[in-house]
Amino acid sequence: MRVLNESLQEEKAPAPLEVSEVTKVYPGGVQALDGVSFRIAPGERACLLGPNGAGKTTLIRLLTGALRPSSGRVRLFGYGVEDADFLGAKRRVGIVPQSAGMYRDLSVDEYLQLVCELYGGGDLAEVVEAFGLKPYRERKMAELSGGMQRRLSMAAALVSSPEVLLLDEPTVGLDPVATRDVHGFLRKAMAGRTVLLCTHNLAEAEALCESAVILRQGRVLLHERIDTLRRRIQPVLMLRAVQGPERLAEVLAARGCESVREEDAVRVHVEDPEAQAPELLRGLLAEGIDVFECRLVMPSLEELFLDVVGAAHALA
Amino acid sequence: MLSREVRILFGKEWRQLLRSRSAMLTALLLPVLMLVVVPGLQMVAASAGNPAAGANIPRGVMLPPGLEAMRDDPKAMLRALLPVFIALGGLIVPAVTASYTLISERESRTLELLVALPVRVGQILLAKLLALLALAGVVTLMLFSIDAGLILALELGSVGYVLALLAVLLSALTFSTASALLVSLLARDFRTSNNLNGMLIGPTIIACFALIIALPSPTLAALVIAALFTAGAGASIFVAMKVISFERLLR
Repeated sequence: MRVLNESLQEEKAPAPLEVSEVTKVYPGGVQALDGVSFRIAPGERACLLGPNGAGKTTLIRLLTGALRPSSGRVRLFGYGVEDADFLGAKRRVGIVPQSAGMYRDLSVDEYLQLVCELYGGGDLAEVVEAFGLKPYRERKMAELSGGMQRRLSMAAALVSSPEVLLLDEPTVGLDPVATRDVHGFLRKAMAGRTVLLCTHNLAEAEALCESAVILRQGRVLLHERIDTLRRRIQPVLMLRAVQGPERLAEVLAARGCESVREEDAVRVHVEDPEAQAPELLRGLLAEGIDVFECRLVMPSLEELFLDVVGAAHALA
Repeated sequence: MLSREVRILFGKEWRQLLRSRSAMLTALLLPVLMLVVVPGLQMVAASAGNPAAGANIPRGVMLPPGLEAMRDDPKAMLRALLPVFIALGGLIVPAVTASYTLISERESRTLELLVALPVRVGQILLAKLLALLALAGVVTLMLFSIDAGLILALELGSVGYVLALLAVLLSALTFSTASALLVSLLARDFRTSNNLNGMLIGPTIIACFALIIALPSPTLAALVIAALFTAGAGASIFVAMKVISFERLLR
């Protein structure tokens, strides 16, 4: 009974992030979002993907309350920007803005203190320690390197131990070393939290998130778990044979298998690799094709993204 | 009365304003010139002259109502000019200092940091404008007290006239702060901001001169100017909030 009550309460509790039928038209008539709806459940780690101009930044700004929707509602824990308790809900959300500027006249410590005051508390010493900012506490924010600036943004977002993290392109413009550094911090910070990660980096999204919201031209194309998304695309067998890819492709074609040549290998789409691969290999060996490599390749998020959005739009 | 967020942000803005050498120099140097040096020297010079001698204006020359008193009283010209100096002193400080708090925040993209915190965009702007108003108010009121002392000590005007000048100063500060909000929403950089300020302050001062000349008494002219500044402040805030909207800051 208690479990039932708890699950009912969970269902009734408003979602940490909810966007309902949101349209945003900027002055001048530019429509950034068109009837966007999605809901990020508690504990979900979702990435927000989409080609340039898809409306990702507008959506993040709507969620932070910096912009107001032209129609529809954006809610944090059930509160919209027009509600009196919106700031209370926003205090439960840590936000890492996209490559924000840094103050020349405020030190790291002064800024983090300001953040603590506005959140109504937080463990400043803990985040300073966790993000390796201790030696830089007295330094002016603008004097930090790009990587340290991003660490400071993350420290500010996490200082009050928020339940939700909103990350807007947290690694954009960073070198590979700083990116890896930030990913390490994010992995720790995202554990046990609800997260919406807006990124262009599909490898980053795949490594850090379990579901994806894909936007195109201001509309949500899908909101699904990445695992489920993977099942939409057939896995691929990557085959290499001593006789070379041409001969291998010929034999595969004769067996009625559709294949694609890729340098010295051949890719074959299969519906059920476990059932089909052994049969295929036996057949190839029987026909005198010496297969020395047979590897199952699962589609990457990039391939899934291109499949959903369409390569032409993804490049737009 | 002010929300907790505005009070916290005000503290940040005030600290940053006091640290900005350029902002402080602007906030101190221009008002010292406009409110103390120029009018002070004129007041001392006017009181040192022959009080019985009027301006040498040929008979038959028609003067506008605001300058008519100059025929018999050499100090009348000074009384007519003082509201303009006071208005200029009140207009310049918030308008120029706003560049350091509003435009620089926009130019350097630090506004993104603030918007990410649990505050509303309106609260960020309010805190900035209050910091501007506080700095400009403290500086100009201190300098104005010197003018007021000189006017009364040198018997250049009545208490009513001094109070009317105070109304001009306070309303000019309010108008300038409100128009700084408007300019900061319209301008993306210092250059545009300075151009817009010039377009706003220049005609405003010319309009002040026109009113001084057109109205029969400098006290009345000062009160009308104060009323117009107050109305202008209201209009600027309305246009900024309803027509342009704060969203423009983030575009």
